Amino acid sequence: MALQIIESCVNCYACEPLCPSKAIFMSSKAGHFRINPNKCTECEGDYQDTQCASICPIEGAILDANGIAVNPPGSLTGIPPERMAEVMAELQAH
Amino acid sequence: MELPVLNETPAASAGGCSSHSCGSSDDQLGHLSDEIRAKVENHPCYSEDAHHYFARMHVAVAPACNIQCHYCNRKYDCSNESRPGVVSELLTPEQAVKKTMAVAANIPQMTVLGIAGPGDPLANPERTFETFRRLSQDAPDIKLCVSTNGLALPESVEELSKHNIDHVTITINCVDPEIGAQIYPWIFWENKRIKGVKGAKILIEQQQKGLEMLTARGILVKVNSVMIPGVNDKHLAEVSKIVKAKGAFLHNVMPLIAEAEHGTFYGVMGQRGPTQDELMDLQDACSGDMNMMRHCRQCRADAVGLLGEDRGDEFTMDKIEAMEIDYQSAMEKRKVIHEAIAEEMHSKRAAKVEKAASHADEPKLNTRPVLMAIATSGQGVINQHFGHAKEFLIYEASPDGVRFMSHRKTDLYCSGDDTCGDGESVLQRTIRALEGCEVVLCSKIGYEPWDMLEQAGIQPNGEHAMEPIEDAVMAVYKEMAAAGKLDEVSADKRATA
Ligand code: SF4
Ligand code: SF4
Ligand code: SF4
Repeated sequence: MALQIIESCVNCYACEPLCPSKAIFMSSKAGHFRINPNKCTECEGDYQDTQCASICPIEGAILDANGIAVNPPGSLTGIPPERMAEVMAELQAH
Repeated sequence: MELPVLNETPAASAGGCSSHSCGSSDDQLGHLSDEIRAKVENHPCYSEDAHHYFARMHVAVAPACNIQCHYCNRKYDCSNESRPGVVSELLTPEQAVKKTMAVAANIPQMTVLGIAGPGDPLANPERTFETFRRLSQDAPDIKLCVSTNGLALPESVEELSKHNIDHVTITINCVDPEIGAQIYPWIFWENKRIKGVKGAKILIEQQQKGLEMLTARGILVKVNSVMIPGVNDKHLAEVSKIVKAKGAFLHNVMPLIAEAEHGTFYGVMGQRGPTQDELMDLQDACSGDMNMMRHCRQCRADAVGLLGEDRGDEFTMDKIEAMEIDYQSAMEKRKVIHEAIAEEMHSKRAAKVEKAASHADEPKLNTRPVLMAIATSGQGVINQHFGHAKEFLIYEASPDGVRFMSHRKTDLYCSGDDTCGDGESVLQRTIRALEGCEVVLCSKIGYEPWDMLEQAGIQPNGEHAMEPIEDAVMAVYKEMAAAGKLDEVSADKRATA
């Protein structure tokens, strides 16, 4: 069982120092932070909430063991996903 | 008759000044202790007149943040734009020290090194304090500053006071958790993400506690507040009163910056920022007996140079690596230059006090106030070509004197080319930014902008090049009064001004 950081990570460094298992590292190959699946314990035994996912400001950057975003669109910013899509479409049209 | 300069006249000698929202800390320099005076005198953010002479820089060493604000998006870094929270190059503490010393050697007017992000400095305590530790050792003539959201402040105060940090800025947007929940969707606290009112309440408690702890230790505190129309605009006068009572030294009310393309909650949801008038009104409402800062430029977390300019491009890491710095000799040079600037500031201030005193009992004009825009690149004089100005300082002239009101950016956080605008020319945008001003003073101006300004009802004036700003503003105001241009508006307009 392990969490995964994907390429939408913005390298804000917030998660790395919080990991009780020292599973998070900067991957120069990927160009962003990643989680070593062999080390990640999902914080079992240390914290009730997974630490990386509890501080990450980027929706969708961290996936659970089933590949589902722990912080889905709208959950952190409060911006309804439909509204975001609308505005992005409008900006693109310019 | 000569008009007193309101902003820079020490309160002790300026009759009637207290009834006005005199610009900033300089009014209070007159009755501050020598110790505090020494702390603010060459700090461009704490002293309005110092910001014309002294420069500051920020080093971007603190990427992580422990809260989310609705006006911030950590994802966005467009090289064209410049707003707080945005940087292009993240530094290690070691690189930050190197950069600071390189800038201090090359820009001797640089007096202050601040850490302001791009996340929250105190959410990155190791990187932040390592930078401070090294700098207080290797560059003891540089003042250190830190800017924080306050969540981790109480636990950091002890360490901050160890590094001999004179100033701390706390961003406080509210003291009411219900309002806080509309600004902060969540905080990270005790290993949990806490949302809504509960999170906001903790944040507010920590901010207030941190403020009290700092002032108890004699560390100067500036409070920044972001004015968000319809959210906290009615609430900020209350915030101002409370932080003042707890010993904050200066309050800086800044306008919300919200554009859809920034991808922030406020930007995407169409929350508007305040107008120039709304901002000035709120600053006046907050002022009471609180010092208001009106010259903040909402700098990037990696800004370098005088407020309002950014010389960051001259000091990228690759350029710095190639520089040889002899800091000992740089420090000696800096000392000489700082002393010369201080002397110039003192004599200017003294001259103003004298002038004000000698004209105190002359009959007053009975004319309406006028806003004027100034093109300047520093030193408190009109020394910039209209076409080169990326921002204008706005002064108000009235029968009570001259006061600094604000600055207005012309490039509206973008590079000023047409690539991301709506096709409006740079000149049109500049003229729009100067709305409400009747005069623009600059060192020179071309024919085309001259015509366009006149058509927009703004009188260009290049006759006062290289003159001190306040003197020129006064002179032009008196000319306008003498020419009968101000008479048509009656006393009732003056009463509301
Ligand atoms: S879930 Fe916990 S253990 Fe796994 S990477 Fe995140 S912080 Fe580390
Ligand atoms: S907190 Fe999120 S965005 Fe920041 S480094 Fe970790 S995964 Fe990347
Ligand atoms: S953001 Fe404001 S307070 Fe900070 S350095 Fe710039 S002008 Fe000074």
